[in-house]
Amino acid sequence: MNCHDAVEKLWQYLDHELDGAAVPELERHLQECRDCFSRAEFERHLRALLRRSCGCEQAPAGLRARLHRLLGMF
Amino acid sequence: MPPLRLGGIAWSRSAFLRMNVHGEHQENEMNTAEPERHPVGPGAERPSGAMDRDARARFERLVGEHLDGLYRVARRLTRNQAGAEDLVQEAMLKAWRSFHTFREGTNMRAWLYRILMNAHIDRHRKDARTPEVLQEEIGDAYLYAGAREGLALSENGNPETQVLDQIMDAEVRESLDALPVAFRTAVMLVDVEGFSYKEAAEILGVPVGTVMSRLYRGRQALKRRLAAFARDRHFISGAQA
Repeated sequence: MNCHDAVEKLWQYLDHELDGAAVPELERHLQECRDCFSRAEFERHLRALLRRSCGCEQAPAGLRARLHRLLGMF
Repeated sequence: MPPLRLGGIAWSRSAFLRMNVHGEHQENEMNTAEPERHPVGPGAERPSGAMDRDARARFERLVGEHLDGLYRVARRLTRNQAGAEDLVQEAMLKAWRSFHTFREGTNMRAWLYRILMNAHIDRHRKDARTPEVLQEEIGDAYLYAGAREGLALSENGNPETQVLDQIMDAEVRESLDALPVAFRTAVMLVDVEGFSYKEAAEILGVPVGTVMSRLYRGRQALKRRLAAFARDRHFISGAQA
């Protein structure tokens, strides 16, 4: 696998959506290629950042209470 | 019962019962060719008494479990808190109406998100003649390249990822909110809420390939915006925006 193929498959790999056969091939490339490994680390970090910054928001308590009341009406 | 006001819409029980299982109004153009098989919707078959109370308790538990995630997606869709709360309320009332038609084994979580999406689309049906432009120019994502150039000499750790660590949570949310809604939604569903491509495709009612392309373009656009933040704060080098 060359770097072009690796980058193309990288996101699917990180999303756990890559076909089984391609996974070991890509992982081998990531072990051997420092550039692609760094790129993968970067993409992983970006996902973690997104998850942290957008995933920490919680529904307001008022919404929970209002929903409970509204559902009781229907 | 007096009509209930939600998001500027007065809801009556009868209007509420005219929606189909995915929270879409029955009177839209798509359904006119086919006569309504359920004049008042499947809601008319709703069990009563103890079964109803049991179903309500199960539904409330389900919604309670996923409310944070639903609110997060609604927040990014509407880009404001009041709009997000209205949207979630409206969508969950629609979901409750058809809840009893679902059997064990249904992907209830994906179903709730789908109803949320449909409720959002329904609200913006009026704007359909001027759809949001998706053809935003997507060049290379400068963030990674800029990070390498600017900080490649750093000896400690991985310099590219250190740039990401400098970006504030609010800046990420702001960057995401600036993307076209189709990209924003795909990124939210997969990257933040952790849905698979297939689930996201079902929620959005589009093919898996469309989800992948929106994800790709959304992430690229997001990186460009984050790079602009990083450049403004001199974390990375590169041409001034």
